Amino acid sequence: MSKIRLLGTLCTAVAFVAMAASCGDNKTESTGWEYARNMYDPIGFNPDQPNPNFKNGLTAQVPPEHTTPVGFVRFEYANTLEGYEKAGVELKNPLIRNAQHLEQGAKLFKAFCFPCHGPEGKGNGPITQDRTLTTSKGSRKLENFPPPPSYSTGNSSRGGAMKDLTDGKIYHTITYGVGLMGSHASQLSPEERWKVVMYVHELQKK
Amino acid sequence: MRNISSFFRSVVKALAFITVFSLGVTTFAQAQDVKAGEALFKANCTTCHKLNARLVGPALAGVNDRHDAEWLHKWIKNSQAMVQAGDEKAVALFNEYKSVMTPFPTLKDDDITNILAYIKAEGDKKPDAAAGGAGGATGAAAANDNVSSFMLVGLIVVIALAFLVIVVLNRVIRTLEKVILKNKDLKVDDEEEDGKPGKDYAGRLKKLAKNKKLVFFAVLMVGGLLTSLGWKDLWNVGVHTNYQPVQPIKFSHQLHAGVNQIECQYCHSGAFKSKNASIPSANICMNCHKGVTGSEQYGGETSPEIAKIYRALDWDPKTQAYGNNPKPIEWVRIHNLPDFAYFNHSQHVSVAGVKCQTCHGPVETMETVYQYSPLTMKWCVNCHQVTEVNHKDNAYYDQLIAAHDKLKKGEKVTAAMLGGLECGKCHY
Repeated sequence: MSKIRLLGTLCTAVAFVAMAASCGDNKTESTGWEYARNMYDPIGFNPDQPNPNFKNGLTAQVPPEHTTPVGFVRFEYANTLEGYEKAGVELKNPLIRNAQHLEQGAKLFKAFCFPCHGPEGKGNGPITQDRTLTTSKGSRKLENFPPPPSYSTGNSSRGGAMKDLTDGKIYHTITYGVGLMGSHASQLSPEERWKVVMYVHELQKK
Repeated sequence: MRNISSFFRSVVKALAFITVFSLGVTTFAQAQDVKAGEALFKANCTTCHKLNARLVGPALAGVNDRHDAEWLHKWIKNSQAMVQAGDEKAVALFNEYKSVMTPFPTLKDDDITNILAYIKAEGDKKPDAAAGGAGGATGAAAANDNVSSFMLVGLIVVIALAFLVIVVLNRVIRTLEKVILKNKDLKVDDEEEDGKPGKDYAGRLKKLAKNKKLVFFAVLMVGGLLTSLGWKDLWNVGVHTNYQPVQPIKFSHQLHAGVNQIECQYCHSGAFKSKNASIPSANICMNCHKGVTGSEQYGGETSPEIAKIYRALDWDPKTQAYGNNPKPIEWVRIHNLPDFAYFNHSQHVSVAGVKCQTCHGPVETMETVYQYSPLTMKWCVNCHQVTEVNHKDNAYYDQLIAAHDKLKKGEKVTAAMLGGLECGKCHY
């Protein structure tokens, strides 16, 4: 009977539509309809775009060797123990210690140091603590990052107490990193690093 | 004789007692060693060492077999002194790892013994730990299966329901047919006139098609429906709300920004000081992922998603060294403002103090990021119409107000005073 077939097809269609509708969460992997896409794409190359004009296909090129970009401040101390000690003796914070700089330093510290070093530099940042991730696939415990030494009571891995670290030593460590800590030079400008150094001195007293 | 045997017996008893007691004490002491050692190990060593993998320094499992205790004590207290004194093993280690191990002069001999005991105990446990990790991985896989089986069951239920509906409708049709058959006897003339049921439909349709009012109404309805649907769709041309592309690495913002409480700025450090919020380069990933490999979830192996970072950077976790064949990670851009609209992140984030979430939504809860806001002109304008300008401590507005005051007083105000000499005013 054609009627039955028709009704059967209809029911199946309704069932499939209902299923499809209940499965989606309104997110889409396509951008949908677009008009004049070329007006969205920049004429120049954005730094994170592929670029056929260069051999390695990148827009963000590394400056040629032995050149210094305009406005770039070179750090003349080597990433060695000697460089570290030398920076520790010779370098002084060029910024004047005032409330404004300290406040900015605190903000930068919160963004760049707090995840490991904790709110007061005691080495108890959130990623060193026990935490659980709950997702749509269930929940699991995350591995704890080894806690760094406390600014006020810990010992430096390069000798001496953390609370005695000088301007230059802290600046050297932020610039090059040490042990498990990576270099933060690409995230913090030299001026920002000095603001952080200023704030770290406050935390050494806590 | 009796005396001798009783004496012998008492000696044996005493000996046995002493042995048992001393055994008990030593096991107790060993347990103490390991526990105290664990605390010391976690406080002093984990920054640079893992037990079963190389980090900044070598993997420590089996270190008790590689070196004797006396050498290890000396090394831990002051490794650099040994290197300078020319100890062969010390020089070899220093050359291999190219970093100075922190001297620990404050650790007592007992402490070091405890740490070494802990390393020995944990190092022996290695196979167990790996098995546990594998168990965890299968657990995760089982969870995945659960999700798909849930969907499968749902599918089966829907199909079964559809089938049930068909069966019920079939019954209804059959009863209706019976009724029709009964009526047939009464209305034979009708059937002769209409012929087969198919022809019957066509005839009815022809009749309906002749009804002009009905046709007009139907066309109007269909036209209206299509117009409204088209209108809605056309408004969404080029609007990418809810766009959630598949990224080359399954990076979870929920894990990093939510659970780990890492601020947006840590990775997108450009947002505060430049036009672009910037996609972090892989060296920023490595600030943590040099140490964090997620291996406990994958039975001791590096997580496949983290391994993608290592591949992109040509980083070898075994030797902890970079190769010279890096390949960039090709992230898929989600938020794409047309090139004809100028937007500056620092202006909004640093000057106006707008929270990232205002435009990007609750990213810290998103497992996979999607576009939260429409990024249309209307959306921009709506916000600009209600947002109050915070002109405090802002040199730009100070200058503007000063210029206004001058104008009020009737003083001369030149274009240069209003920034007319800035290069970017002409050469933008």
